[in-house]
Amino acid sequence: MKELNVEALARVEGDGGITVTLDGKKVKSVTLDVHEGPRLIEQLVRGLTPADDLNVIPRICAICTLSHRYAAIRGLEKALGIVPPEKAQLTRELMMLGENVESNSLHTFLLALPDFLGYPSAIAMLNDYGDDVKRALRLKKFGNHVMAVTSGRIVHGENPILGGFGRYPGRKELEEIKLKAHELVPDAVRDVELFASLEYPKYSEADMVFMSVNAPKKQYGYAGESILISNGKEANVEDYKKLTNERVVSHSFAKRSLYQDKTFTVGANARMINMGKRLDGQAADLFKEHFDERWTKNPLLNNLAQAIEMLWSLEHIPDMVDRVLALDNPPIEKPTRENGSGTGAVEAPRGTLYHHYEIKNGLIDVADIITPTAQNLDDIEKHMKLTAERMLAEDKGDEEVRLGLEMVARAYDPCISCATHLVTLKRI
Amino acid sequence: MHKLRDAPGDSEEDLRARLETIPAEGRVYVLGLGNTDRADDGAGILVAEALKKRFPHFSFSEHDGIEGTVLDIAERDERSTVIFVDAGDLGLGPGSIKVVRREDIRETEITTHRVAVALMASVLGAHQKESAVICVQPGSIEFMGQVTDPVRRSVGLLVQLLTDLMTARDR
Repeated sequence: MKELNVEALARVEGDGGITVTLDGKKVKSVTLDVHEGPRLIEQLVRGLTPADDLNVIPRICAICTLSHRYAAIRGLEKALGIVPPEKAQLTRELMMLGENVESNSLHTFLLALPDFLGYPSAIAMLNDYGDDVKRALRLKKFGNHVMAVTSGRIVHGENPILGGFGRYPGRKELEEIKLKAHELVPDAVRDVELFASLEYPKYSEADMVFMSVNAPKKQYGYAGESILISNGKEANVEDYKKLTNERVVSHSFAKRSLYQDKTFTVGANARMINMGKRLDGQAADLFKEHFDERWTKNPLLNNLAQAIEMLWSLEHIPDMVDRVLALDNPPIEKPTRENGSGTGAVEAPRGTLYHHYEIKNGLIDVADIITPTAQNLDDIEKHMKLTAERMLAEDKGDEEVRLGLEMVARAYDPCISCATHLVTLKRI
Repeated sequence: MHKLRDAPGDSEEDLRARLETIPAEGRVYVLGLGNTDRADDGAGILVAEALKKRFPHFSFSEHDGIEGTVLDIAERDERSTVIFVDAGDLGLGPGSIKVVRREDIRETEITTHRVAVALMASVLGAHQKESAVICVQPGSIEFMGQVTDPVRRSVGLLVQLLTDLMTARDR
């Protein structure tokens, strides 16, 4: 019996590794081991007011901070009977567009791309691909700026609150965002062309099930009240537990999910599979040009999906700015009840994020967060196992197999810190 | 947080001397990194935020968007030096401080949360800008924990030393 280890998985957030157990050429198991310590954040917020909860819960993650905040707002507003004004909803959508640009630019270029181009890191890429790296940094900077303008600051912005915004962004800063988004569209198009030109190894290919929110009005988007499943079914977000079926495994501090006993995928590729036909603009043209059957089988295509999605987000920012600017600043909507429950579902850059709350006498009684990475972990292991089996059958060396496995894991854009928020687990 | 081991810490005198030799000429920018939600991991942010009160155009923290700030500085037509301040695992006692020159930055990691300092230093280098990292050994990185006394003292010392340096060089 032999073990092939990737002890510390680089270019992902948090502390995780991969263990492959081999019996000769036969792969006995492949596990993504999550070592990151649990944060118990759902317990921390019990007994807090919903407003205080909003200042604690996004701390679970500094990159999807706005996704966490938005999911929490959606769940809490539902529980408290708050209907947010249209301007608040549009400004929230704008901040999500910014977060998507920020996160997808970082992941595609600086985390995933080095693998495809044969470099150990983006730092090593700098001499040969300096312009591409700087383009990614410019896009990330712009995404950060949109987040700061809408939420108040880049990390853990506190402007989006229950019932509206503490302060709506001003006209001048929004118009600057609109101009800059227009300017950056050609950069995002170049990024799509680059990712479309890459060779995506086939080792991990297998049938997949994809889940994402169903954005309203048959549009593409990052929040919704129902979940689309690629088998043609649709479910209300309040049934999130039936979709995710969380469970604990012995080798990981993060919970796992299965849908009807099968692994499933959330993320940009899932959004493209479920809502790709709703894309518009150049993003739609490029999606039509590059989408094929392999997208439904190969998790590595998530990188291309993220590049197309980033373009869509950029293209939509000017329109969203106009819609926000067309409305006066409304007053903050107040809660209409002190008891209730609600689930918020949004599309974080790395997949569907659920926040469920139960409120009793105006205080948080139950908080339940299901992160995209926790939903993806079983799927990652499934596709890593296939990769290991197929590469070993072709007599690939250990280093090549290691790289193949890392590429699969990284393609999901995992955030391990965020996925280990809950479980207290005894290692057996 | 940076990971550096087997590196002796700098005394206050050493530190002052090393800081003075790094930015040979031009403006000095300070960029504070870290996570204030994790106790001493926020040391760099505390230094940068304190300096920002006196040098609002030359001191930035993670909250200002580090990558964008680095790009802006890199593309400015001026001589300058960027000093990153971050918590770093030096394998020493809490509060120990170490200055690491750009050529000695070995970090290769990029996470979903931030671009590696080594990449940012390389981008700066490609635009003929100098850079260095000051690491502070944390005593605790507990989630929602308090900054420890030794790290608080080191933050105060760094604010004082960097204030002197920026006052001397940024005119």
